[in-house]
Amino acid sequence: MKRSLTAIVATAAALAVALTGCASGGSGTSAGPNAEVSFWSFTGINAKDSVNEYIKKVPDAKVKLTEVGSTTETATALTAALAGGKVPDLVMIQNDDLPKFVENSSNFLDLRKLGGDDIADDYLGWAADAATATDGSVIGIPTDVGGLGFAYRADLFEQAGLPTDPDEVAAMWKDWTSFIAMGEKYTAATGKPFVDNIETSVFFSTVNQVSEKYYSPEGALVYDTNPQVKDAFDIAVKTHDAGISAGIAAWSSGWAPGRANGAFAVTIAPSWILSGIKTDAPDTAGKWRIASVPGVGGNWGGSVIAIPARAEHPEAAWQYIKTMMSAEGQADHFAQSGTFPAAASAVESQAVLDYTDPFFGDSKIGKVMATSVQQFPSFYNGPDTTPINGALLNTLVQLETGGVTSDKAWTTALDTAKQAIGG
Amino acid sequence: MSTATATHPQKQRKTPVQKATRILNPLSERIAPYAYIAPFFIIFIIFGLFPLLFTFYVSLFDWNPIGKQTFVGLANFEQLFADGRFWNALLNTFGIFLISTIPQLILALFLAHLLNHARLRWANFFRMALLVPYITSVAATAIVFAQIFDRNFGLINWVLGLFGLPAVNFLATNYGSWILISTMVMWRWFGYNTLLYLAGLQSMPREMFEAASVDGASSWQQFWHLTIPSLRPIIVFTVIMSTIGGLQIFTEPLLASPESGLTCGAGRQCQTLALFLYEQGFGLFKFGYGSAIGVVLFVIVVLVSLLNFFLSTRTRKAS
Repeated sequence: MKRSLTAIVATAAALAVALTGCASGGSGTSAGPNAEVSFWSFTGINAKDSVNEYIKKVPDAKVKLTEVGSTTETATALTAALAGGKVPDLVMIQNDDLPKFVENSSNFLDLRKLGGDDIADDYLGWAADAATATDGSVIGIPTDVGGLGFAYRADLFEQAGLPTDPDEVAAMWKDWTSFIAMGEKYTAATGKPFVDNIETSVFFSTVNQVSEKYYSPEGALVYDTNPQVKDAFDIAVKTHDAGISAGIAAWSSGWAPGRANGAFAVTIAPSWILSGIKTDAPDTAGKWRIASVPGVGGNWGGSVIAIPARAEHPEAAWQYIKTMMSAEGQADHFAQSGTFPAAASAVESQAVLDYTDPFFGDSKIGKVMATSVQQFPSFYNGPDTTPINGALLNTLVQLETGGVTSDKAWTTALDTAKQAIGG
Repeated sequence: MSTATATHPQKQRKTPVQKATRILNPLSERIAPYAYIAPFFIIFIIFGLFPLLFTFYVSLFDWNPIGKQTFVGLANFEQLFADGRFWNALLNTFGIFLISTIPQLILALFLAHLLNHARLRWANFFRMALLVPYITSVAATAIVFAQIFDRNFGLINWVLGLFGLPAVNFLATNYGSWILISTMVMWRWFGYNTLLYLAGLQSMPREMFEAASVDGASSWQQFWHLTIPSLRPIIVFTVIMSTIGGLQIFTEPLLASPESGLTCGAGRQCQTLALFLYEQGFGLFKFGYGSAIGVVLFVIVVLVSLLNFFLSTRTRKAS
C-alpha cells in the first residue's frame, strides 16, 4: 500500500515535470547564421520550394519549415505564440493581418538593426510602408504583393460582340462607368451575368484605388466621412443595380463551378489566384485572358516576413531573409510559384514583365500586374482596417442576397462597421 | 478471564493484526483513493478550471494578447448587452439548437424502436451503419452539405428546379441557414443517440414486448406505453447532453460558409454564440470581449442545464 502511494506521488510529480517541461522546450542547437531556423509559413504558397532553394544557395543552413495553415490561422497561431509561447524564428504575415502586428511592433525585431536603415528602400514603397511602425521600425520585409488584373472569358466576350484582345478590353473598361456599360451590353446580349460578384471583384478594386482609405494619414478614422470610400462603395452598388452581377461570392460553393461553366465572364484576378482558376476550371484552358482592372492600379494580398523579438536564432533568420528576399530571389520565386515579387527592381525585371501563360491565352500577365502594383497608391491602414473592410464587404454580400436594399446599403454598412470596431 | 479468552480465541488472535493495520494504513488508505483520481484533477485544474477562472478574470479587461491590458471593470458586459450581434447570436444559437435537437431525438427514438424489432434482418449492419455519420469528419460533412444546399448548383435547388420552383438561397436567410446547420448537426448526432436508446431498449426484457404483442398491443402502443417510459432516464441524459452540446455549436457554422469568414453569412445569419466568441477573441484578438461572451455563454449553459435538471426530477417525482 505504502509503496503504491509513493508510486502515485512519483507519477504525479513526473507528470507535473513533463507538463511544465513542455512549455520551455529548449532546442539546444548552436547559435550563428547556420543554426536551425524555425519558419512558420502559410499553406498554398510553396514555401517548401523557397526553403529548398535556400538550402541550395547556403548548403550549411538548416530550416525547419511548418506550414501552419491559412493566412488567418497562421496569424492566430503567431498571436498565441507572441502572447506567451514558443515563437518561431521566422514568420510570414499576410498584409490583411499586418496592421495589428505593426501596431504592437515591440513584439518583433526592428530589421533595420540587422540590415541597416535603408533596408526597406529596395521594395515597393507602399508594401514597405505597410510593415513600418509609427516609430519608423521595420518589422517585416515584403515577400510578395498581390498584383491585380481582371480575368475574363474571351470566348464569351466574342459571343456577346465585345472585343477579346486584352489591350482593347482594358481600353474599353478604362473607368468603372464604362465597365458597368460593358456589363450591361454583355448581359443584354447573352442573358447571363457579367461579373461574379460586386464585393470582391468590384469593391475590393475600387476601395483600393484611393489616396486615403479608412484612416487619415495621421491615423484618425475617416471611413464614414471619406468621400472616396463612399464613391468606391457606390460603384459596387451601381454594378448591382445594373443587374450584371451573378452574386456568387468568392470561395462560396458556387464559385469554382461558376468559373468552369461560364456563369460569369469576369472575375478579379490577383496574381496568387491564377493557379486557382486553373485548378477549378481546367477545361477552360486558353479561353481566359488577363487585362488591367478598370480605374488605376490595384493590389490584393501580399505578405511580409518577420522575426519575432524573442526568436532564438535571429541571425540565422536574417540570413534567410537576406538571401531569399533579394530582388533576384523574388524574381526566381515568381517564375516557379507565381507569387508576385515585392522588390521594386524585380517588378521591373524583364523576366517578370515578359511573363505569360498559355492557359490565359498568353496575355501579358507580368506587365499587367507590374503596372497595377506600381500604380497602387500608398495609404495608411490602421488596426481596424480589416474589420471595417469586412463590414463593408458583408453589407454588399447582403445587398446581393436580398438582405438589404440599394438605398439602405451605405447606412447599413456604416452601422455594421461602427459595431465591428466598437465591439 | 480465562473463559473469556477461551470463548473468543479468534478475536484474541486477530486483534494485534487489526491493530497493526490500523496503525499502518489509515493515512495511506484515506489518501490512496484521492491519489488514484489525482491525475484527472491535476489535469482538470490545469486545462479546465484554471482557464475557466482566468476567463472570468480576462473578461474584466480590455486585453490585447500582444499589447496593452487595461482593467475596464464590467464595461465588456455593458457593451455586450447593448451589442446587437450578441442578441443575434443568442437567437441563432437557440434557433439552431431547437431545430436540430427536437427532431433529432424524436427520430432517434423511432429508429431505436425499429432497430430493436425482433424480426429485423441484418440488425447489426443497420446498427453499425448509424455510427458512420458520427465518425465522419465534420469538415467533410460540412463541405458536402454546403454543396447540397448551394444556391446556384446545389442538389436541392436542382430538384426544386425540376418542379419549376424558384431557387432558394439557404445561406442568405436566417431560417434557411439554421436549417442547413441543423441538418449537419442532426446528421452527425442522430446515430449516436439512436444507439444510446437502443442500448437502453436492449437491456429491457424482450418478454415484456412479446407479452404486449400477445395481449394485442400494436407497435405504436408498445412504443408509447413501453419504450418511452422505460427509456426515461436515457432520454433525460440525451436531452441534457444535447442541450450542452447544442448551445455550444461551433464547427458547423464555422464551416458552412467559409467565404464569409467567422460570421457564418454576411449578415451573421447563422453565427452562434460560440462562433461569435471565436470571432471576437481569435479573429479580432479582443480577448477581453471574447472572454465576456464566454462567461455569458457559461452562465446560459448552467441555467439551461439546471432548468433541464429540475424539469426531469419533477417528472420523475410525478410518475
